[in-house]
Amino acid sequence: MTFSILASGSPLDHVIQHAIKTTPMDLESKLGLFGWVLTPKGEITILSDQITMIIAAGILLTMVLPMLATKRRGTDEIGSMVPTGFANFLETLCNFLRNDVARPALQEHTDRFIKYIWSVFFFVLTLNLLGLLPFPAISAYFGTHIGGAATGNIYTTATLALLTMFMMVFNGFRIGGMHYVAHFCPGPLWLAPLLVPVEIIGLIAKIFALSVRLFANMMAGHILLAVLVGFILTAWGSVGSTGGLLIAIPVVISSIAITMLELFVAFLQAYIFAFLTTLFISMCVVFPHDDHDESHAAAH
Amino acid sequence: MAKVIVFMVASLLTSTTAMASGGDGGVANPFAGDLGNVIWTLVIFILVVVVLGKFAWGPILSALQKREDFITDSLSSAKKDRTDAEARLAEYTTKLEEARAEATAMVEEGRRDAEVLKKQIEDDAKAEADKMVERAKREIGLATDTAIKELYDLSGKLAVGIASKIITKELDAQQHSRLISESIEELTAAQKN
Repeated sequence: MTFSILASGSPLDHVIQHAIKTTPMDLESKLGLFGWVLTPKGEITILSDQITMIIAAGILLTMVLPMLATKRRGTDEIGSMVPTGFANFLETLCNFLRNDVARPALQEHTDRFIKYIWSVFFFVLTLNLLGLLPFPAISAYFGTHIGGAATGNIYTTATLALLTMFMMVFNGFRIGGMHYVAHFCPGPLWLAPLLVPVEIIGLIAKIFALSVRLFANMMAGHILLAVLVGFILTAWGSVGSTGGLLIAIPVVISSIAITMLELFVAFLQAYIFAFLTTLFISMCVVFPHDDHDESHAAAH
Repeated sequence: MAKVIVFMVASLLTSTTAMASGGDGGVANPFAGDLGNVIWTLVIFILVVVVLGKFAWGPILSALQKREDFITDSLSSAKKDRTDAEARLAEYTTKLEEARAEATAMVEEGRRDAEVLKKQIEDDAKAEADKMVERAKREIGLATDTAIKELYDLSGKLAVGIASKIITKELDAQQHSRLISESIEELTAAQKN
């Protein structure tokens, strides 16, 4: 069973999502939706292997983190300030994101956005890490598809990136106010017809790059692993079981190495996503004070 | 959007399970995905933001802020205490120096007073002793004079008595005294020489 799945077609098959439940077909004509938000058959996926991982991540995060967050050494004044056990790890990450990532960019707005930034980081991290677990291979034994990296799906990463854009624009108007509106035209007013479209394209490009960066990184790692494991099956098919087993030795070793790398990438990409989200939000809400405006403009 | 979600929920109850293999027969598309992923991501992520915001990030953030404040307060109060302690130390050092100087001054003054008193007592004693010696000398001198005078008188009387007995010629009292005075002057002159 596993072999048949592993051997099926291109390595890409192991990385893309596999629907478990879908709506009826041809929604494009029935509901008048755009074709690109539907599957090639015109369906909406209700449940898929990757969606189960999104749900699992949601359950894990909402169950485990509140438990860790309140884990303290004691109840007295000092004890309530000292995390214990695994809560140390959580708080170290939170503290790092707050002090070394968010504060330099967001300054006095740090604590206003830090909850969102923490959520982004841990959500992406959990999805990345869940994607590394061998759920697909295990669930295949039971004839179903569970698991896979949800962040290896452009629709998922794009949704997160669009939420970042929403945070940028919404808070840009709310907190940045006129400064935010003015930043769409950083030059003289007569250049506005040229600069405003450029700035808007810049905004979209940022969000596009943000979603593609995470998606491509996660997908690439998993494709690489699938290709490596595919070597065994190719060798098995072409030169028999001995060849397959011989090839398996370097493949397993390098797969372990790549998995280690993926583990690092899972953290790195979650960090980068959170970092860029912070940076993009700060561009919309943190503006140099009025008395610095001239020198700032001159520097450009 | 609401229409789509309602449709999805309805379909969830009615639709058939898709082929688990997921193979559509076509070429696998790396950008595979659809509105289902978007909606699930949106729902779960917003749920995560709300739930964690209330039950995880809230406590962590308040704990971090509380700890920051506590550390800041502790450091500033430690700094203040240190400054205070240094000031107090300086104050006490000054006081100690003053006390020591005062004590030294007191001891010095005491010694000086004692010296003065000693000298005075010595001087008094010396003066007293001198006076006593002087008085003794004077008394001795007086006694000596008296004795000498008495001796002269006596010897004068004896001489007069002897002389009157010898020459039997009575001298009147005036001549008698003059004779005695002359004799004393002669004696005194002889003694001085």
